[in-house]
Amino acid sequence: MEKHKISEADRIEASNLMEEASDILDSCIKCGMCKSLCPVFKTLKEERVSARGKAIILSDKIMNKVVFECTLCKGCEQKCPLGIKVCDAIRKAREAMVLKGKGLKSNEEMIDNIRKTGNPFGKNIGNDPEKLYCC
Amino acid sequence: MNKDIKKIYEVDASQLKGSALDVVSPTNTEEVRRIITQTKNIVIRGAGTGLAGGCVPQHGSDVVLDMSKMDKISELDKERRTIEIEAGVILDDLQDYLSDFNLEFPVKPSSHAVVTIGGMIATDAVGNRAIKYRKTSDWIKWIEIIDSFGKVEKRGITELSDYSGMEGISGVIMRACLKLSPLKKRTATLLEVDNLDDVTSVVRKLKKNSAVSMIEFFDKEISKELGFDEHYHLIVEYEDDSGELKDKEYKKLLALRDKIYPFVADKGYTRIEDPKIMLDRFVKLMSWLESKNIPTFGHIGVGILHPCFNHEQEKYISEMMKLVKRLSGQISGEHGVGILKKEFVEMNDKKILINVKKRTDPLNKFNVGKVI
Repeated sequence: MEKHKISEADRIEASNLMEEASDILDSCIKCGMCKSLCPVFKTLKEERVSARGKAIILSDKIMNKVVFECTLCKGCEQKCPLGIKVCDAIRKAREAMVLKGKGLKSNEEMIDNIRKTGNPFGKNIGNDPEKLYCC
Repeated sequence: MNKDIKKIYEVDASQLKGSALDVVSPTNTEEVRRIITQTKNIVIRGAGTGLAGGCVPQHGSDVVLDMSKMDKISELDKERRTIEIEAGVILDDLQDYLSDFNLEFPVKPSSHAVVTIGGMIATDAVGNRAIKYRKTSDWIKWIEIIDSFGKVEKRGITELSDYSGMEGISGVIMRACLKLSPLKKRTATLLEVDNLDDVTSVVRKLKKNSAVSMIEFFDKEISKELGFDEHYHLIVEYEDDSGELKDKEYKKLLALRDKIYPFVADKGYTRIEDPKIMLDRFVKLMSWLESKNIPTFGHIGVGILHPCFNHEQEKYISEMMKLVKRLSGQISGEHGVGILKKEFVEMNDKKILINVKKRTDPLNKFNVGKVI
């Protein structure tokens, strides 16, 4: 398998983004109230997917695929007593991980499919390659 | 478990950081039994909202038993007003389910949106409505536990005290049969009070009113932070129409109350204590807290105060505990002892706790290093 080559500029950008994500989440007081409106936690019942969980690892600037387990619905932000912009931090962490070649393979495949067929599953259901066709 | 993900389970709302050997999230009794028989040291975790470090694993040797997936609500007996549920059920999820039947579980800690029933039983949670509904153990019919040998057993009211309020040192609470109360329509009033003596007399008078289900106190500092005038304030909740605030306004005020802890924590007051004292000693304790500029709120109806200490003020905690003991109070009214308050437990209480621990957990497996 071909290894993802990372340019120096991407490396610096990724590092800056992780720093920014960490700064956003640094004020988290670990109260856990974010879990009450999190649809991912409500479904999986796993602390690791909660905003508190992500804050704990992102505060330490750790890149982990758990940041992709989020719907970016901002439910946690509504419940956060400090109004921490959790989703901004998650977006930045995701961007940093993609720059470092640590994004999700399934996401890359989906983007490839959209570019080739206009459909996330790679199905040829439309005629115009410039348009996005849903499933 | 991946070491980065493990970090998530090494912290709780106390903000203490520990270290775990592993994390397991069982989905049924058989899995819990297997984990218990195969593991040396287990720390039981509910919602991780404790403020005393009760579920923080230590020394890298504890396996965290996350009970969040044990979340089945099973049998509701509408006539007898009881329900059987698993320990990982979240209180507000239970309330949502019960509201369809015009019923509720009346004990309500501030963290009701995320707290688990198992955690509430283990800490014998009190909450805002303790003045009327007392504590969690008063609303339990029986619990099902697993001991350190992996044996599943039911414990009735007479043996409940070995588990409720024991913060998980005696065994794993798996299921419980809860008593329920008819759902109430509630209203509230926000009272402004000029001095501490008046607070005491107003509270004394309110406690005689059987419709009052909650009396919450905020000192001047907390009142100011909440956007009220710089006076003492009381939130009084009624289970009838006596309160001035109804429906949306009532809900808004209660939501503001629930936000206090995280709100003060953001201002640097991260250590929240929970001494319990009699109402006639309230002024003495409050005067001391004010002399040290320690913002305070609490469930004044049942004598539980929440002084909020910042990092610099933490040196006053042991002095406050001494004062609380001198005033014949308790060092912890509801948060539990966990790791943070171990040093303040009286020798006689410690002996009792050690006896319970030896009797219920002879293999010394559960929450070792907590409480005692």
